[in-house]
Amino acid sequence: MKLPQDFSLFRDYGMVLVLVLLCGMITWATWEEQHPSDASAGVALANGLYDLKGEELHVAIMARQTKSDDEFVKAIEDQIAERGSSVKAVIRVRNPRDARIELEKLGVSNTRINAIATHNFCFSTWGVLKQATLDGLASSHKSFKDIRPYKPKSRMGSAFLSAENLIAILNQNAPVAIMAIGMTLVIITAGIDLSVGSLMALSALISAVTLRSWFGDADASALGIITAFLLGILVCTACGVFVGLMVTWFQIPPFVVTLALMMVARGLSFILAGGADPVDIQATGAELLYSGTILGVPNQIALMLCLFVIAHVVMSHTALGRYIYAVGGNEQAARLSGVPVFWVIIIVYAICGASAGLAGVMDASHFTSGRPKAGEFFELQVIAAVVVGGTSLLGGEGKILGTFIGAMILGVIQNGLNMQGVDSYTANVVYGALILVAVLVDQLKRKLLN
Amino acid sequence: MRTFAWLSIFAILISFTGCSSDSGIETTNEGASGTSSDAGSDSSTTDTNDGSESKGTIGYSAMSFKNPFFVVIKDSLEASANDAGYDLIANDADTDVSKQANHIDEFIAKGVSAIVLNPTDRLAIGEAIKKANAAGIPVFTCDLQCVAEDVEIAGHIGTDNRQGGTLAGQAMVEVLGDQGGEIIILDYKPANSCVLRVEGFMEVINAHNEGREAGKIEVIAEINGGGDEEIGYKATADNLVAHPNLVGVFAINDPSALGAWKAIDEAGKTDQISIVGFDGAKAGKQAILEGKIYADPIQFPKKMGTEIMTKILAYQAGEEFNPIELIPTSLYKKADAEQDPELQN
Repeated sequence: MKLPQDFSLFRDYGMVLVLVLLCGMITWATWEEQHPSDASAGVALANGLYDLKGEELHVAIMARQTKSDDEFVKAIEDQIAERGSSVKAVIRVRNPRDARIELEKLGVSNTRINAIATHNFCFSTWGVLKQATLDGLASSHKSFKDIRPYKPKSRMGSAFLSAENLIAILNQNAPVAIMAIGMTLVIITAGIDLSVGSLMALSALISAVTLRSWFGDADASALGIITAFLLGILVCTACGVFVGLMVTWFQIPPFVVTLALMMVARGLSFILAGGADPVDIQATGAELLYSGTILGVPNQIALMLCLFVIAHVVMSHTALGRYIYAVGGNEQAARLSGVPVFWVIIIVYAICGASAGLAGVMDASHFTSGRPKAGEFFELQVIAAVVVGGTSLLGGEGKILGTFIGAMILGVIQNGLNMQGVDSYTANVVYGALILVAVLVDQLKRKLLN
Repeated sequence: MRTFAWLSIFAILISFTGCSSDSGIETTNEGASGTSSDAGSDSSTTDTNDGSESKGTIGYSAMSFKNPFFVVIKDSLEASANDAGYDLIANDADTDVSKQANHIDEFIAKGVSAIVLNPTDRLAIGEAIKKANAAGIPVFTCDLQCVAEDVEIAGHIGTDNRQGGTLAGQAMVEVLGDQGGEIIILDYKPANSCVLRVEGFMEVINAHNEGREAGKIEVIAEINGGGDEEIGYKATADNLVAHPNLVGVFAINDPSALGAWKAIDEAGKTDQISIVGFDGAKAGKQAILEGKIYADPIQFPKKMGTEIMTKILAYQAGEEFNPIELIPTSLYKKADAEQDPELQN
């Protein structure tokens, strides 16, 4: 069977198809009523209310003290003003109890209100907006005599497809995806690195501990924080170099070296933490690596995308990339044809260690603490992402962008299962089975192509 | 190519649909209205509370479903949530705070009405809770507390662990009588709840020892039992060699107590050494019935599940409620086990 040329994306990255299918399925499975509460919903609500009541409209807006509600409230206010009326009261509260108190105050002030504009969150759960409660209020305050709650019309949609959720998926999986870059290189050279999860913890702990004891703890400067983070990454890179030396000089199988390093690094993390409790990071600004944004894109996502682009270019357009494939394809032949196998192996494991170190400081920034338990079992997730992405464990074959897709496939499956509330025992079975199916599809496709 | 596309759709669909929960549809009181049919708004005249329509979803991120304690909490929370007209989404954090933080992200994206947590880390989960606070979704904690700064917790329910510790101390004094002797404690310092248990225990032991010449109860070692059967077993086995005159073990939970029993049994010292545990999980109760463990201060996970739902409803209704509630434990001994319907059959 021969594929037309424009299918080359699917031929090279068959997993793209699987990812698209998965997203479609989860969208379908999570297709349910959505309750909009954005600015456009506010405008529609305001128009609806005005059309319904006209000049008789006496509306109070009730919403929470959140950023998203700011827009909703402003949209209603503006639109009501546009129609030539005005909003009589705006009640912004933190919880239903305050809502009840504020509404009572409004009743006492004798302000005429016949409609409360709100969104579904307050509408359907807050007791104070239940008709029975409102009727009670209406009987004690004449100005509330025909008061009713209104919310924007619901529509069908999928919470999975919301921008918020898709960004969350990218963000949550950035550490695994970044480590998978290093792992892809290692696996292409027919190696393996089991230590990445533990190195992640080690890097987080080194950053947290040095920040505390060397860089002034809570008073640490931006430079101090960056240095501490770089130290964490540096130590992990050194660990990677060490693994490379063991693999090349002493011909120890990488499985064994990295298994040992996995235990050593995990143990060191607990020793540095002085127990199982995380080491708290007090320095302000340390959280920015996780919570900050570049041009509106969360830092972690921007960093991940940049690294993937760089890795892709290196693997497909540089001598180093060709050497890495050559070493994995046939080490002996590569050596004979002048590839510096020794250096290639060391560089590859160093990159893998560095990527684990980076994931570690990202974790430290996320939880503003060095967690000795960070990255537990991540090595398996990372390897799974690489393999699902189409890289052969036998070496010599694999694509960086495939790895990105692989990491996202795992992330999307996990997200879909969580969103659906599939119980955790079943979720494990499904997760495992889907990984197998994903790889199987890819294998069948290859067989057919050859 | 096309064949394989279809094959993959088929395979994935089979593996997925079999497991997707049928709680997909959630409705509010929309449509119960009569007055308006305009495009912009939905009015509601009634807010029915007959339980037939869902009022929303509650997201629960559990410590670990490998521990039956949290499965009991989930089951009772689910039952009372359904009774009140809510759906429950329960996710397993598997003691990993990064998984739990992901769950909170997903709950926010899904727009749940309330979040219930067993915080997997009393500090590190703070950032994730702040996100929920910013999204205006109330967070309730259960069993363990979050002590991070600047987080808003709408309500908490847990066990009075210090009181439980004193009950365990009393049980130890009771079983050793006036003889006293050397005992060890299997602790688990990372969990604050377990630290409180040991504090309560020591309070009673110190009071017992005060002004006493003979028959003192002497804690000769406080070691890490990991809250785990295997670790508790090894820790006890090592100490049995070092301290041949041991007469008692206090373990901060049932699994480590059972590990201690295994080590004592292998050393043939079950007549000499008494064990006091903690929790009252089924395995622990069974061990009490069989005389392996002398007594357990027991917790009430089922009550935690129902009480947390009561708090959520009180919160939503805007009523005043006690934001932090600690349920006292009660002491459970062989006589209780013989009466316990849970252990019949």
